[in-house]
Amino acid sequence: MSEAVPALLIVLPLVAATLPLLIGLVRQRTGWSIAAVVLAAETGLAVWLAWLVYGQGQRVVHVLGGATFGRKDVVIGGQETEGFIVGIELVADALSGLVVVLIAIVALAVLAYSRRAGPRGNAFYSGYLLLTGGLMGVVLTGDLFNLFVFLEIVGLTTYALVASDDSPDAAVAALKYLFVGTVGASFYLVGVGYVFVRTGTLNVVDVSRSLAGDPAWIDGTLYSEPLVAASFAFIAVGLATKAAIFPLHTWQPDAYSMAPDAVTVYISALVSTSAAYAFARIAWFVYTPAFFEVNRLLLDAVLVVAAVSVLAGSLLAAMQRRVKRTFAYSSVAQFGLLFIGIAVAVHPAGGEAGTRFAIYGVAIHLVGHGLMKAGLFATAGALAADANARRVREYAGLAKSHPFLAGAVAVLGFSLIGVPPTIGFVGKWYIALAAVQTQLWPVVFVVFASTLLTLLYVARLLETLYFDYAPEDTPAHAEPSRPVATDGGRTLSYGMVALAVGAALAAVLLGFAGAELTAAVDPVVRAVIDGVPEVVTNG
Amino acid sequence: MAEVTVVESWRPLAAVLVSGLAVAFIVASHRHQNVRESWSVAAAVGKFLIVASMLPGVLGGMEYRWALGMVPGLSDEFVFGIDLALRADALGMLFATLASFLWIFTALYSTGYMRGLNEPNQTRFFAAFAASLSTAIGIAFAENLVVIFLFYELLSIVTYPLVAHDETDEARAAGRKYLAYTFFGGGFLVLGGTVLTYWLTSLATPAGVSGVAAGESTATVTFGEMAEPLRVVFENGLAPPELLVLAFAMLVLGFGTKAAIMPLHSWLPDAMVAPTPVSGLLHAVAVVKSGAFGVSRVVLYVFEPELTAELGMHIALASLAAFSFLAASFIALRKDNLKRRLAYSTASQLSYIIMGVALLVPTGVTGGLLHIPAHAFMKLTLFFCAGAIHVETHTDDISDMAGIGKRMPLTMSAFAIASAGMAGIPLVSGFVSKFYMLIGALRMGDPAYAIGEPTAAGFIFSAALILSGVLNIVYFWPVVYTAFFESEDRHDAKPLVEFPRGGEQEAYGVIDDVHADGGGPLPDGGDEGPADEYVDSHEDADGAASDADSHDDVHHHGPPPDGWERRSPRDESTWLILVPIAAIVTGAVVLGVIPGNVAFLDLAIQVAEAVTGQGVTL
Repeated sequence: MSEAVPALLIVLPLVAATLPLLIGLVRQRTGWSIAAVVLAAETGLAVWLAWLVYGQGQRVVHVLGGATFGRKDVVIGGQETEGFIVGIELVADALSGLVVVLIAIVALAVLAYSRRAGPRGNAFYSGYLLLTGGLMGVVLTGDLFNLFVFLEIVGLTTYALVASDDSPDAAVAALKYLFVGTVGASFYLVGVGYVFVRTGTLNVVDVSRSLAGDPAWIDGTLYSEPLVAASFAFIAVGLATKAAIFPLHTWQPDAYSMAPDAVTVYISALVSTSAAYAFARIAWFVYTPAFFEVNRLLLDAVLVVAAVSVLAGSLLAAMQRRVKRTFAYSSVAQFGLLFIGIAVAVHPAGGEAGTRFAIYGVAIHLVGHGLMKAGLFATAGALAADANARRVREYAGLAKSHPFLAGAVAVLGFSLIGVPPTIGFVGKWYIALAAVQTQLWPVVFVVFASTLLTLLYVARLLETLYFDYAPEDTPAHAEPSRPVATDGGRTLSYGMVALAVGAALAAVLLGFAGAELTAAVDPVVRAVIDGVPEVVTNG
Repeated sequence: MAEVTVVESWRPLAAVLVSGLAVAFIVASHRHQNVRESWSVAAAVGKFLIVASMLPGVLGGMEYRWALGMVPGLSDEFVFGIDLALRADALGMLFATLASFLWIFTALYSTGYMRGLNEPNQTRFFAAFAASLSTAIGIAFAENLVVIFLFYELLSIVTYPLVAHDETDEARAAGRKYLAYTFFGGGFLVLGGTVLTYWLTSLATPAGVSGVAAGESTATVTFGEMAEPLRVVFENGLAPPELLVLAFAMLVLGFGTKAAIMPLHSWLPDAMVAPTPVSGLLHAVAVVKSGAFGVSRVVLYVFEPELTAELGMHIALASLAAFSFLAASFIALRKDNLKRRLAYSTASQLSYIIMGVALLVPTGVTGGLLHIPAHAFMKLTLFFCAGAIHVETHTDDISDMAGIGKRMPLTMSAFAIASAGMAGIPLVSGFVSKFYMLIGALRMGDPAYAIGEPTAAGFIFSAALILSGVLNIVYFWPVVYTAFFESEDRHDAKPLVEFPRGGEQEAYGVIDDVHADGGGPLPDGGDEGPADEYVDSHEDADGAASDADSHDDVHHHGPPPDGWERRSPRDESTWLILVPIAAIVTGAVVLGVIPGNVAFLDLAIQVAEAVTGQGVTL
């Protein structure tokens, strides 16, 4: 039964995505309730999976398609298949478990947020469930082409959701996202094609073994082959586009700032996160440190681009006037930091300690950043809904009227800077530690400088919130005569405040759980250090 | 290191949390002023009692340790290989006792001050105040570099609302500068230094160090355990020595930013826009002292005297400190705003602490550490006096204070005593610490840091100490002189403040007509004119004047038209302000008269003997 959990996690929301539309034909306002039930069940499944992975120490594998498929020892044309797979597997291990839980919880929390914040309509809830299923697929699949399929499901539904409030700006942003995102996905597909041409397989584990030269039909390692190096380059560019790393980020600020607030919360927390997760999975387990020992230049290129992303993203964030754009560019910087961590983990100069700390850092910051950004965008949305404040200067003096939301911004902002004891500190600490292990001093400098650069925009926001008086003549104050809200006068719901405050509390509490989180990720560390493509806990 | 018994105890955590808890009560009772302020005072007293309860044990060679693992279900680990733990050792107790003791009086005083001025946002003020004390005690008891970094950052955050309290453009600019400096110091340098140190200690793994099983990682950031792996790394050439120097420099400058070491000091005078109790807290108790405390931790417990000397960093650090206290003293000479003059005085006195510690000889270290409480008592007195003057008369500039001694006799007497102590005049606390430092400087042997023949460096540093003492008199005496020995209508010009640099031919040129009041234009205007002009040009250059000017519109400052009224010490201000001043200045004198009977000297000697392995002798 437990093997079915990964499949259920994907299938449940995908199938349920049809329900709001179908039932909507009969009864109008049922979408939210359906989504709530489905996502509650989804969260239950995610917790079950986490228990299996972390509690029981299992690597949960599900082969799609029944008994016909799977890893079998057969002889084809005089060749042993050496346990290579036929079909597609879904795998949940110590790396994906954390992200699965994050997705399930954020999806449920944002649904609570969207009940008041909108957008509404059954089509929105269908898209929302579809997106959740796609994200689960990205995280759980063990197949490179299948990953592409799920990336596209995520991409297409995100385009739709970004445009779901029917505003022209959002439509343009969605179109831009569509163009850039599709090009990114194509790059990824080309990379996977190269891999398939050379190895004849698409399964993560099998590709990894083929590249290492394990099977009898491959002579020696394939790491030095230009085709393989090119495949990594294509995949890296594709996923960097999806994760919005600096020169490829252009779709992201528009999409984040133009999308409806609830959608922004959701995609900022999860969509780029899933792409970064995919990059980590592929870099660590498909190509493995041995590949990068041969191709140092590729790794250095990733490091340079990621470092530039940290610097440029932070500076651009500090230059923005709109709050949502500030946070959007901040994501560009934070994913730069994550990519630094991902690259450092497989950097030959780092040694075992470097790999260990980098993997801790990436896993923790991936989850932590998702949480922090969800909280920050949720607060931005709540303040926009209640005080009509979308620009930094419109935040003046809001701390007095919205103490809880302002407090959430403060805590999450400091977490983003990396002030202890918060999850943001723990993640940054490990990434910094790993960078020092590699002795790549410019990278080390960028990691530390990111603290100061984050301070640039967070401090500006907090100062305006707490120590600035509201100017009397802003548009927010100029039009109180117009009926502001459409449903009963109150635009702020408990769900909206709860998401913001809950994220802030979680960011602090998880800051004390550093030891528990690293213990959870330890199997990943062991697998990467040993160069094994399967993350096995018991053993 | 001397043998110590480590006792598991919740008391270090309780000492940290008690005022953190008070924050919640303070915010909750924001509608009832008296209840709110009682929480502050109650938390202050409670905190002091908790800290004091550990004092006999620590003096007897015990250490109290709390770790996260004492909470059921959690492990000690905060991040990989590093515990979240608090440890009350001798050095920590020195700082914690001081901070918690002085907070009692600061809490009373700030109540008087804030009410006297009817300041807005008092709840936020008292909440942030209590929180900052929590973090200060956290810094005192932090067991390793990561925990001290944690509290160091939190201290920056919770003191920011205090600096920006006024919500004026100037206050916000000061707050911004404060955050930029302290985050640069804390976020960048301290974190960087910590990571670097953690990595450097890990490099000793192949060689191994005592107390760590062979093959186990020697990486550590725990105070007192880092020096050995670092020495192994240094002696076996496992890392370039430049990296060790870099780690040292990053940590020292990171903490030194808060201690206002000279090139990194500029946030401190700007932060003077904050209400005076905050300045007192910033200067005397929590913030800058946590910086000086951090530097002491780095020199004495991270690198430890032996390795510091081998790296040659003690000379560099002592030179930086000497430059810093001399330069700050010279700048203080030309500041007319009393709080700014005090700010530069702080910048200079903190460098004494760093100097004392950097001497690395037991006597010098004792003097440096003793200067932490000694300076705290004196400087808090001075700030309380400046605040009392501001509350009662709205006077901020020294040039307006002629004859103020008869209006505020007790305040100005306390000011006189404290400034005498600053200069190192005997029977006040400053003398004792400076005397130890002077002896220490003369004994500074190079490079063996043993008691030996005075070296050239030792002579230079002791000469710098004496020169700085003289400068202290030069910039404090005019304040006392003008308050007691001049009057509103007959006072001399202050050549250093009012005249252009390099002097002025017509010094003492302001000859007032006997019947004219100080401010009124003279019939011919010839004598008064130039002096006014100098004042103006000075204020423009300084930038401090805008604050004073904006206050002018609201309050009258300087002496009233018919001169200061004469008041008795009992009714010159409210008791909420006078009692703390009297108590703290008494403390400064007690520390100066019977230092051996107050715990601070014993704690300082205990630390100095433990880290140098030698006895402290005079």
